[in-house]
Amino acid sequence: MTDSDLVLHTLRCLGFSGLTRVAATTGLGESDVESELIDLARAGHVTRTAGAFGGWGLTEAGRAADARRITDELDAAGTRAAVADAYDRFLVLNPELLDLCTAWQMRAVDGALMANDHADAGYDARVVDRFVDFDGRAAVVCADLAVALPRFGCYPVRLADALARVRSGEFDYLTDNLASYHTVWFQLHEDLLATLGIPR
Amino acid sequence: MRWIHPLAPEAAAPADVIGGKAHGLVVLRRLGLPVPAGFVIGTEACRAFLRDGRLPDGLDDELAAAVADLEGATGRKLGGPRRPLAVSVRSGARESMPGMMTTVLNLGLTAAATAWLAAETGDAGFAHDSRLRFLSSFAAATASDDATEHLKLAVAAVFDSWETPRARTYRAIHGIAHDLGTAVIVQAMVYGNRDHRSGTGVAFSRNPNTGERAPFGEVLFGHQGEDVVSGRSLTRPLSDLADREPEVWAGLRAALSRVEEHYRDACYLEFTFEAGDLWLLQVRPGRFVGTAAVRVATELADEGAIGRHEALLRVSPQQLRQARTRRIAAGDGADLFARGLGACPGAAVGRVATTADKAARMAADGPVILVRPETSPLDLHGIAAAAGVVTARGGPASHAAVVARAMGKPAVVGIANLAVADASVRAGGRTIPEGTLIAIDGTSGEVVLGSPRLTTSDADPHLNRLLTWADEVSGDASARTEAERLSAAHTALTRGSALQRHRD
Repeated sequence: MTDSDLVLHTLRCLGFSGLTRVAATTGLGESDVESELIDLARAGHVTRTAGAFGGWGLTEAGRAADARRITDELDAAGTRAAVADAYDRFLVLNPELLDLCTAWQMRAVDGALMANDHADAGYDARVVDRFVDFDGRAAVVCADLAVALPRFGCYPVRLADALARVRSGEFDYLTDNLASYHTVWFQLHEDLLATLGIPR
Repeated sequence: MRWIHPLAPEAAAPADVIGGKAHGLVVLRRLGLPVPAGFVIGTEACRAFLRDGRLPDGLDDELAAAVADLEGATGRKLGGPRRPLAVSVRSGARESMPGMMTTVLNLGLTAAATAWLAAETGDAGFAHDSRLRFLSSFAAATASDDATEHLKLAVAAVFDSWETPRARTYRAIHGIAHDLGTAVIVQAMVYGNRDHRSGTGVAFSRNPNTGERAPFGEVLFGHQGEDVVSGRSLTRPLSDLADREPEVWAGLRAALSRVEEHYRDACYLEFTFEAGDLWLLQVRPGRFVGTAAVRVATELADEGAIGRHEALLRVSPQQLRQARTRRIAAGDGADLFARGLGACPGAAVGRVATTADKAARMAADGPVILVRPETSPLDLHGIAAAAGVVTARGGPASHAAVVARAMGKPAVVGIANLAVADASVRAGGRTIPEGTLIAIDGTSGEVVLGSPRLTTSDADPHLNRLLTWADEVSGDASARTEAERLSAAHTALTRGSALQRHRD
């Protein structure tokens, strides 16, 4: 995959984003990414919106171009069956991850859900433990995906990074920021849908 | 019988053995309320299954005897072919684990039984819809077409589902022991999808958003129960029953009063009605939060159902914090546009934006509410720019719900009848263009047109009365936070009852 393809596809899975976030996700330097984005904009594949909530986003043509490129990539690799199998296993894990995110944010008090005020360190530690256990099982699926298509190798790294930060006390890396476990997991979901050509 | 327990008024087995759901069904039967005939396979059988990897010795015979009893009670035969009996097979542990375990409906509808049911009811569409629901909920059914075999497989499948990683995670988080196991409830099916005089729903004895003493809930005509819970289908307000099925409505109102009287608390019922006959499938007390919990506790005390001390103990100091959440003020004749599930508490007013990109652009000119079929990572910038989020699909754990909570934005999800078009939004027969001013209440799930009055509970008369009682109990009328006033009363009451025990 060329840097241009990588930037385009990353933006496809991230959604509308600022330069810094695209660069951090691709692992490329900001100036390189900006240069690719400008070329992509010239080709009509991305646009830039100015303003407080501004950033880069795909055009319809960009979306179509990305779909073609990743379909070609998957066909060339000849691993569609392996990716589809991993996607099925992802779908088994997905509700559990959503349960975990809800458990972090909400808490049952006398059977009713209320916002988790994070006053009970024991409860929070139990939830984090289950995230760690979950990540161990998710990593197996991610590893198989990375064998089928090497670019999926970024996901287990980013998921593990989010969890490592959580374990060192940066709890907003579970559900509450743009590099959180939840956000990366959902990008993986989006990437699987895009790669297999499954509409949301 | 060793493993199997009757679902009968005289049943004495505790919730540890037959599970919380079955225990509630026994209560309903004791109260003389209509519950489909059935039996319960206790948690002990589950523990044996999990230990040995197979159904325990003797269960086969007990299952055959229990099915024979059920056939006798219903005048039907499992698998038919004549007058076929179909059953539901549901999990039910001591502690509720909603949505975590397997449920099989319409078991017994083999090909032959389905043909008979079609002839018996004169409705082939209904019979086949029911069989399809069975097949789609139970993959093992494709191996054979023998109802007795299916029942054993379904029981094993429910036991097995206790051990799924998702269920284990749920228990670990909620402090439920892994070795309890689940009971299995087998009941004669009642068909909410039978005809236009059939349906299914959920009902609260009091409004869970406000605590007001009036039946509240949803009903779905012509469907089976899982359709309501899944949020896939278009439900109607519970009160629609009053016109369409007055007898069901009257029966349901009476049942709500009866269970309230028994539990001395606001209650929740799941029900199905088949050809105009009402059946109750689950009961649960309480679980109200915030202002609703406060109002229910004070009014129950006013009604004499509970004492003031108990009213105080029923509201936790944490719930008071939730009682201070911003809400759309009730009773101002707000123009309700749609209703979904409140997914992140709080209220917001803004103009409708139908895509994340437009939300980001429009937010420069004032607050917007992002309205989407559902959200994905591609919408993050729109959620960040919006004052609140509304989605047609999804539940409390959906992407929109998780992200909205992370960002502290009020959110309403799961509005089944909401359609989002390019530059307009449609619900309940009304279409509003993009840019229309709406308000959302992330507690009640209401979406209201215009800019209604928003309120926090400063002036809540119920809260003020409860806190007056609290001060009387603690003997402390100094200026403190509401939570401190309630906590002081709790401390005084707990100390008082400890002292009482000491004297005894």
